[in-house]
Amino acid sequence: MEALRQAFDFSDFPRTDLCVAVAVAVFLFVFPALPHSSFAMATMIQFLMFSVYGMGWNTIGGYGGQVDLGKAQYVGIGAYTTAVMQIRWDLPFWVSLPIGMSLAVGWSFIIGYPLFRLRGHYFAIATIATSLILKDVFESWSFIGGARGLKIPLRAEMPDFWFLQFREDYYYYYVILAFFFVGLIYLNWFRQSRIGMQLRCIKDNEEMARSLGIDSHWAKIKAYAVATAFVAAVGSFHACYNFNIEPEDVMSLDLSVLIALMAMLGGAGSLWGPIIGAAILVPMKNYLGAWFGAKAGLIGLDLIIYSTIIMAIAAFEPRGIWGIVTRIRQSRSD
Amino acid sequence: MALLKVQDLGMRFGGLMANWGVSFEIASGEMVGLIGPNGAGKSTLFNCIAGLYNPTHGRIHFLDQDVTGRKPYEMARMGLARTFQVYVASGDLTVLENVMVGCFLKTRSRRLAKERAGELLSSMRLSHLSDRNMANLPVAAQKRVVMATALATEPKLLLLDEVAAGLNSTEIDEMIGLIRWVNTEMGISVILIEHVMELVMNLSQRVLVLDSGTLIAEGEPEEIVRKPEVIKAYLGERYLNEHSDASSKGEPVA
Repeated sequence: MEALRQAFDFSDFPRTDLCVAVAVAVFLFVFPALPHSSFAMATMIQFLMFSVYGMGWNTIGGYGGQVDLGKAQYVGIGAYTTAVMQIRWDLPFWVSLPIGMSLAVGWSFIIGYPLFRLRGHYFAIATIATSLILKDVFESWSFIGGARGLKIPLRAEMPDFWFLQFREDYYYYYVILAFFFVGLIYLNWFRQSRIGMQLRCIKDNEEMARSLGIDSHWAKIKAYAVATAFVAAVGSFHACYNFNIEPEDVMSLDLSVLIALMAMLGGAGSLWGPIIGAAILVPMKNYLGAWFGAKAGLIGLDLIIYSTIIMAIAAFEPRGIWGIVTRIRQSRSD
Repeated sequence: MALLKVQDLGMRFGGLMANWGVSFEIASGEMVGLIGPNGAGKSTLFNCIAGLYNPTHGRIHFLDQDVTGRKPYEMARMGLARTFQVYVASGDLTVLENVMVGCFLKTRSRRLAKERAGELLSSMRLSHLSDRNMANLPVAAQKRVVMATALATEPKLLLLDEVAAGLNSTEIDEMIGLIRWVNTEMGISVILIEHVMELVMNLSQRVLVLDSGTLIAEGEPEEIVRKPEVIKAYLGERYLNEHSDASSKGEPVA
C-alpha cells in the first residue's frame, strides 16, 4: 500500500511541472481525435515507444549513472519472443509479453554480473559488445529467421486485441500510451524508493555508498534488470506494430545509441528527462530524416546532427535539458 | 570485551609496506585518537578495517568475529561506519536524502527512513539544510552531514577520517561537542584520525601513534605528547615548547 501511495506521490515537484504534465497528459489522450496525418500518428507512436525505452534506460543510465549503450539487445529479445511465439505456436501478445520480459531480464542477469565489474567507459563499451554479439547470433539463427528476420502473418479478424493487430493506428497508440503511463508511475515510485536512492548514492560516490552498507554491484544488476524489462516490453509491442522484424532493425547499434541519446538529451536521472528527449528527437528524426532524404538529397545529415547533440551535451550540460531548467530555477531562488 | 581487535596487520602495495605489524584493541564505548605524519598509513589502516582493502598480513576481529577481507558493505551491515577524508559529491542527493540512504541500511520503509533521518538531522541541528544539495554545502556543514549519514546506519564503531580538517576554531569546538555527544549519548565507539591536536587531546581516552606504517606509541594523551619518539616523528619540538602545560587543553599544532 505504501508503495502504491509513493508511486502516485508527485508532491515534491513544483506546481508548474505538474500543470505542464497534466496538460501534456490531456493532449496525449485526445491526440487521436484531433486532425492529424498518418505520418504524425506514426511519429507519436514512436515518441511514446522511445519515451518508455528512455524511462527504462534512465533507471540504470540516469539514476545509476552507468552509461548503457546496449539496450537494443533487449528490444531484440522482446520483439523476437513475441514474433516467434506467435508464428510458431500461435500464442497471443499478452502471453509472449511477460515471457519476453522474463527472458530479457534473465539475460540481463547473466551479462550484468560480469559487466558491472567494469566502470565508466569500459562498461559502456562492453554493453555495445554484448549487444552486437547477440545481434550476430540472431542473424545466423535460422529458427528465428536469420538475417532476413520474421514476418508476422495477418489475422483473419481485425481488430484483434489478443494478438495486437489493428487496421487503425489509434489502437496501437492507446496500447503504447498505457505502457507509457504504467512506466511513468513505476519510475516515480522507483526514484523515491530504497533501491532508487541507493543507486543515486552510488552515482554520487560509490565508495561512500559501499561504506553505508550498499552492495553496489548487486544494486546495479537489479536496476539493470528493471531497465531491461521496460525495454523488452516495448520490443514486444514493436513486433506487433511493425509486423516485420529483422536484427538490423531492432538490434542495431543505432537504436541503442538513440535510446541513450534521448534520455541524456532530456535529462539523465530525472523523471521527465527521457520524455522531453523523445519529444524533441523523434519528430526531428522523422521529419528531418524524410526531408533530407527526399528533398535535399542529404541522406545521413541527421546522423551528423545527433553526433553534434551528443558532443554539446557532454561539453555543456551533462544533465541535459532538464539540467538547464534546474539550473535556471536554482539561480532564481538564490 | 574488545569491540575491535587488530592483530599484526600488514598492508603491502607492491614494494611499499603501508602498514606492518600493527596490533591494537578498541574496547566497547572507547574513544581513541590515531595520529601520525602524512603518509604514516593512517587512512590505509582505516581502509583495511572498513573492508576497502584486503590486508596482506594479520587478522581483524570485530564483534568477536574474524572479519579480515570482508567487503565494505558487509562491515557496514555488522555495525561499522566511516567517513572519508575527501568527500566528493556530484550532487544528485539532498542532505535529507543522503541521510535517508544511511537509514535504509536498517529499514526498507521510506516513511521510517525519512522520519529517522529527520530526527537525526534535528538532533545534530542540521534541519535547516535538509533540502540543500550535498555538492554546495560549506565545508563544516558537509562534514556534519557526512557524519549524520554514517550515524544513520546505527553503527557500533565509527571511524572518523579528519573530520576537523579545514574548520575554523569555532567549528572545531562544535565538532568536539558533536563527537563527544556521539560517544557518550549514542554510546558509539570512535576512532579518529586527526591532525588538529586540540581535538585529539580533548576527546581521546587513548592515542595511537603511527609512523612509517607501524605503531610507535600508545597511551593516554598527556603521556603521548611527552614521548620523545612521538615528538620526533610527528609533533616537533615546538609543540612541547608552546604547550609546556600540555596536560591541559592542547592547541592546534600550527
